[in-house]
Amino acid sequence: MAFNYDYYLRTDKMPTLWCWGCGDGVILKAMVRAFAKLGWDKDDICVVSGIGCSGRFSSYLDCNTVHTTHGRTVAYATGIKLANPDKHVVVVAGDGDGLAIGGNHTIHGCRRNIDLNFVLINNFIYGLTNSQTSPTTPQGMWSVTAQYGNIDPTFDPAELAKGAGATFIARESVTEAQKLERLFVKGFQHKGFSFFDIHSNCHINLGRKNKMGTAKANLDWIDGNLMSKAKWDKHSLEEQHELRKQGKFPRGILWQVEDDEYCDLYDTVIEKAGGKK
Amino acid sequence: MSLNVDFKMKAPENTPVWVDESKCKACDICVDVCPTGVLSMRVDPHNVLGAMVEVDHPDYCIGCRECELQCPDFAIYVAERDEFKFKKLNEVKKLKGEA
Repeated sequence: MAFNYDYYLRTDKMPTLWCWGCGDGVILKAMVRAFAKLGWDKDDICVVSGIGCSGRFSSYLDCNTVHTTHGRTVAYATGIKLANPDKHVVVVAGDGDGLAIGGNHTIHGCRRNIDLNFVLINNFIYGLTNSQTSPTTPQGMWSVTAQYGNIDPTFDPAELAKGAGATFIARESVTEAQKLERLFVKGFQHKGFSFFDIHSNCHINLGRKNKMGTAKANLDWIDGNLMSKAKWDKHSLEEQHELRKQGKFPRGILWQVEDDEYCDLYDTVIEKAGGKK
Repeated sequence: MSLNVDFKMKAPENTPVWVDESKCKACDICVDVCPTGVLSMRVDPHNVLGAMVEVDHPDYCIGCRECELQCPDFAIYVAERDEFKFKKLNEVKKLKGEA
């Protein structure tokens, strides 16, 4: 007996178009196991994805899927969720999709605290278009648009989401697939905006030019960048700032609070306006 | 809400770990993560990367599922521990009890 993934998948589209060893596949599998654990019917799930390698999620998952324009995943998903408040909406975006072109939509989705599950697949590079610098590319790394080493500082997506008002924020890497699955189960159950910052590998477009040419080398680098939240909290704020500058981040559930959800607030508007009788 | 779907896949007879070679892209991750050296790569000129994963020592498998969890391509599967590893251990225990 082994776990059968086929219920949630479009198996005629397999094998996947991703490169060998791509972390997106691990996230896809963890997501499918989380759906199965929660017992969600595939007709009750809507998967929204944007442009990039992460955009393929909507092709491989046999749920209700929308493959949207670049960076507008949260905008589309907000509409879907408002029209169908009883359905589960999962948004999948890459670091370019969710933080660069779609950064504004992301922070306003967080601000509204609408019940979306936002999975940010952070692979530190624009992988699909061959290695342009993304907002999370570490300083000093080679990319096509920064051939003498990237000088742009990076930022912490989890802190951005927290500042913007998301109510569930978690970070994990693809090296811990079982923890990832448990994190998805907790986050998908949470009512409110769930923000997952998942560190993934792109050994083809980031690794090959940065001395991490194999999948394993890149995964080791990703794993070394994360530390447990308990260990992180022992550092003072100045030390945390220094660690962030070095590209080190805490992992696990970083922030979880209960707050008013946008669809519920919208219901009060419908009531006041005299609709839904 | 309960979902009436069976998520169990039947394992081949007497096999702890098996590979779907039509899906494997030979990324080498499973060979790296296996703690007991069950898997290895063999030369395969028909594959894009010129290699294919092979189950070399099925007896060494401890059923940790690390290779299945880390495989991005739905290519490798591990039988549940009760069906292979612990079954075997129980037989050893029985023999020891008889001796």
